[in-house]
Amino acid sequence: MRELSLNILDISMNSVKAGATEILIELIENETDLVFKIVDNGKGMTKEFQKTVTDPFTTSRKTRKVGLGLPFLKLAAEQTGGSLTISSKTKDESTDGSHGTEVVASFKKTSIDFTPLGDITSTIVTLVQGSPEIDFVYHHKVGETSIKLDTKELVEVLGDRSMLTAPEVLMWISESLNEQYDSIGYIKY
Amino acid sequence: MTVSELITKADLEIVNLADAEREIVGGYTGDLLSFVMGNVETDNVWVTIMTNTNIVAVASLADVGCIVITEAEELPNETVESAKLRNINILKTKRNSYEMCAILAGFGI
Repeated sequence: MRELSLNILDISMNSVKAGATEILIELIENETDLVFKIVDNGKGMTKEFQKTVTDPFTTSRKTRKVGLGLPFLKLAAEQTGGSLTISSKTKDESTDGSHGTEVVASFKKTSIDFTPLGDITSTIVTLVQGSPEIDFVYHHKVGETSIKLDTKELVEVLGDRSMLTAPEVLMWISESLNEQYDSIGYIKY
Repeated sequence: MTVSELITKADLEIVNLADAEREIVGGYTGDLLSFVMGNVETDNVWVTIMTNTNIVAVASLADVGCIVITEAEELPNETVESAKLRNINILKTKRNSYEMCAILAGFGI
């Protein structure tokens, strides 16, 4: 994909489909590296499924035989000299009742094949708009500074979860993120 | 033009030949796989420098006529095996993508 934010959207949609009620999207970035982590409390993947998930011919969809989100992400990360790791557990495999999936992709920003982050604000707005029932926590640490959005906090302020998809609220989320990025002079492209 | 005619006329090396008589209609070139997936058409010849096994998935999904890998050295085994399994035509050449596309255009593809 042309922008990392599209990979983030794609992988987060897996979490939505896995029935997650909380999704954490965390980016940690310094001068040379960018790591993004997507953690959900969805149904998780069995050990068997996990082994095959970066194989482009594996998918959770029934309509086609190839699922390319994770294989593409792996390729994008490895092309820069980075890597992709996935850990997951289902309810059955869990000893403490917790379940879900964590996808961690690391990129070397210094590589010529590094794809820029792109329009991450639109990715976050799209996710909230599409799945207002899910608590999204977005946290992007850039060196010593950080950019944050927590929809659970927003719901507390708004008093009503359905307000999350109101145009003025989505607009606020978009402006808030963009302002935070502008205030640290972050270059997304 | 069929895949087999293409091999002879353009002097291409065979990586995997699944259907030599397949008719090629039009072409596409690109290396950003998600982009190719959205734009390449059925029966196209797809010209790319990429060799990762993901190209087989993209070709299978879009039902392309054949892949031509340019500036090619040895391909990963995984890609070759996957292509055999999914009946995907893969050819290769030492030429770059520009030169390959120019030749294809010369054939009227």
